[in-house]
Amino acid sequence: MRIRTTALLLTFLGILVVFNFAHTQNAPEASEKGKEVYEDSCAHCHGVEGRGDGSAAENLLPKPRDFTRGLYKIRSTEAGQLPTDQDLFDIITDGMPGSSMPPWDTALSANDRWEVVAYIKTFYDGFKESENPPKQITLAGKIPYAEQSVETGKDLYVELGCVECHGNVGRGDGTSAPTLEDSWGFQTWPANLTQGWNYRGGADTEDIFKRFIGGIAGSPMPAFEGDSFLNFGLTTEESKRLIELENKDEMTEAEEEESGKFYEKMDAAVDIALTIKEGGEVSAADIQTYNDAMKVVYEKSWHLANYVKSLMPAKRPEPAIGNNVLRSQYVQDALPPIDDAAWETFEAKYFPLVGQVVIEPRQFNPTIDGVHVRSFYNDTEVAFLFIWDDRTQTTGDETDETTGKPLEDALAVQFPVKVPQGPTAPKPYFLWGGRLPVYLWHWKASAPEQVTEFTAKGINNAEVQEAQGELKAQGIYTDGQYKLWVKRALKTDDKKDLQLEPGVFVPIAFSAWDGANGDVDTKRVITSWYTFVLEPVPSSKRFIYPPLIALLSVGFLFGLRAFVQRKNSENA
Amino acid sequence: MKSYLLASLTVLLACCFVGSVFAADSDAGEVETLIFPEKKYKPMAVNNGGTISGVVKFEGDVPEMKKLEITKDQKVCGAEEKFDESLVVGEGNALKNTIVYLIDVSEGKDFDKKTKLEIDQKGCRFEPHVQIIPLDTRLTMLNSDRVNHNVHIFSVINTPVNKQQTKNRKKMPLAAVKKAEGPVPMKCDIHGWMSAWVAYVPHPYFAVTNEKGEFTLEDVPAGEYKLGYWHEACGTNNEAPAAVTVEAGGTVTQDFTLKLK
Ligand code: HEC
Ligand code: HEC
Repeated sequence: MRIRTTALLLTFLGILVVFNFAHTQNAPEASEKGKEVYEDSCAHCHGVEGRGDGSAAENLLPKPRDFTRGLYKIRSTEAGQLPTDQDLFDIITDGMPGSSMPPWDTALSANDRWEVVAYIKTFYDGFKESENPPKQITLAGKIPYAEQSVETGKDLYVELGCVECHGNVGRGDGTSAPTLEDSWGFQTWPANLTQGWNYRGGADTEDIFKRFIGGIAGSPMPAFEGDSFLNFGLTTEESKRLIELENKDEMTEAEEEESGKFYEKMDAAVDIALTIKEGGEVSAADIQTYNDAMKVVYEKSWHLANYVKSLMPAKRPEPAIGNNVLRSQYVQDALPPIDDAAWETFEAKYFPLVGQVVIEPRQFNPTIDGVHVRSFYNDTEVAFLFIWDDRTQTTGDETDETTGKPLEDALAVQFPVKVPQGPTAPKPYFLWGGRLPVYLWHWKASAPEQVTEFTAKGINNAEVQEAQGELKAQGIYTDGQYKLWVKRALKTDDKKDLQLEPGVFVPIAFSAWDGANGDVDTKRVITSWYTFVLEPVPSSKRFIYPPLIALLSVGFLFGLRAFVQRKNSENA
Repeated sequence: MKSYLLASLTVLLACCFVGSVFAADSDAGEVETLIFPEKKYKPMAVNNGGTISGVVKFEGDVPEMKKLEITKDQKVCGAEEKFDESLVVGEGNALKNTIVYLIDVSEGKDFDKKTKLEIDQKGCRFEPHVQIIPLDTRLTMLNSDRVNHNVHIFSVINTPVNKQQTKNRKKMPLAAVKKAEGPVPMKCDIHGWMSAWVAYVPHPYFAVTNEKGEFTLEDVPAGEYKLGYWHEACGTNNEAPAAVTVEAGGTVTQDFTLKLK
């Protein structure tokens, strides 16, 4: 019996339509109100005519979306389909983390957001031409998160070639990452999959599933939909066997024949999938074949989504107010080297970095999200381990066009030269000091074993200290991540250095540069001041003399007062 | 129900051919496109048709071909040097990869169904660089490389395509397309230097010049035509197409000389 696929598809669509109406809303007709909302709130980025060329667009990357091509990244719909109205409403409501697209949940009423959805659709005729609602990706049959599923997904991540762009462990550092462009020819970076908080469209397993099945239109990210999925049409076992055969250097005649059969089966399934897509005729048996093949694709896709989910922490690690002190742990013996397991025994503090936009040249489109820091000290020295993600290792081979300076990855750690005496005493200006100077450690990827000490009285007023060499450093780059280990004596002879003492709360701040992102000089990412302390040691462990304990307690109380004061000022 | 569906399908198909003169997209101002006939093309038997042939030459200083920087998969992609193929000029200034075609043809021969519509990805380079694809026909992407490629076609009128062709996938057919469009750029984002062009066309009177700059359009029904060309770096003659008169059984020669735009 031969049936018209269209009929079947329409029935299917009918089901989807019912489904749609149950869960989603449609935008009203485009109105004057929508235009007004758009011109007030969106046009300065997206342009009056929706071409993504508003007055604010110039400095932004990714660029505000050009609405005239109907390319939308965050969709619940299949590859090549337009978004649903609900998709547009949701992305406008939630904004796009990791880009300059703000959330409008509070600034605009729901009604205004629906009006503006209707209005932005008028920029692309495709919305008018398509009568059918776009086909949504089926989320039925979700496979729950489990270790086994994550393992299966991990293999798929490699086999499907996600690695090429997203890198071995998902930090967006794949070998293709530096050369990617979006559909408008602007440079674009693959998502760092370990930073779920920067996903444009949310990092729930369902979101991830929809993103790689439907693709991210306008970006280089392909759609991993049915017929292009690995070994489409084969069962999981057959697929495994075929991969095994293909990986052999040479196949026997019998093996050739075996693989040949698999290819025939795949070709037949692909043919059906394409015929359906083209709106052609297929038999009921063909539809069965197609559905079976899709079932395997969806199963695998859930495993893959679970794997991607496993790469990220539940939420962005952020120092909560009142818990933003970087505490150096005391050890009696030698400080642990860079690869010592001791560093893993406690959780790092994460300091989010933001683009420096106060002083020209500015960084509006930062690529480094933050830096993880841990520290140990003993009676004479202190050691730090800094870890931050950077998609590319840049060591100064290329130079910045305007300044002529080498573009390279770097990190700077900033302290005041003198610890503010008492909690109310002013700190130096956070952008490398001013009237009050700062003391800096500056590390560059081109000299990974070296940290240069600076004294600075302003962001463009830093001087290399005459006395150097008190610091030991080691920097390594693997899989899109820098690890930098730095060691210094607690006390030095240099008056320009900061002197460290247990229990004293010291302001600390960070700057980082991603050479591949054009970071140089003031164009960089920064933090404001945080607090660092050599955590005082519990008395029984170290100090046997009561007077010393007393002394230390006083120091600690001082520090505590500083800390409480700081907390209060932060809350104010 | 059945007939209703059939009717709507026909309407849908018909819509695709209405007003299908696609002027250059104002958005992508630099990219000039082909001109497609306004009326739906009617295939018919052509007896004693004529031939249009000619040679396309390049005029001006031939710039040195830019060597492409191979940034990954060196073993497969870097074995041979690769060059930017946007302007390939051969002996005697012969210009390769120029599309020469009839602008205003409403009936004529049918497509040759035997022609293989393939683009190979070999040594991380597309072959051919310019491919003509009849409407309602599948293009098959080959992967001779055993590395992962992604086939990205930047269609504007049709649905854009971006699919991964994993390393073991030797053949990947792509869904047929219903609307005339092009040429449209094709790219592999994984190997960012890979570039090609596809044109989805409604009739078979399209040719791409070979390395000698030659083209031939055969079995053209006798009559007067406008002959157009398109070249990636030299643009089109959309403003002033060549006029040719084809006589039954005869051959008419039309050469072109192109300059960088
Ligand atoms: C500060 C600049 C800015 C403003 C203001 C702004 N946007 Fe955006 N918008 C962006 C950027 C940048 C992107 C692209 C982000 C990306 O591609 O990752 C974007 C993308 C979008 C998208 C595309 C979503 C997708 O799935 O691809 C929509 C829809 C959108 N904006 C709607 C709006 C609306 C409606 C308003 C006004 C209420 C607005 N934007 C205001 C910067 C802005
Ligand atoms: C050709 C390069 C490329 C390949 C291959 C690729 N991606 Fe991506 N991916 C990207 C780029 C670029 C982005 C950023 C898109 C944007 O927001 O502009 C991205 C973004 C993502 C995101 C984040 C979505 C969001 O909401 O921000 C996820 C999840 C993802 N990819 C998963 C995958 C998976 C899983 C695979 C393999 C099945 C894969 N990608 C293969 C380039 C690629």
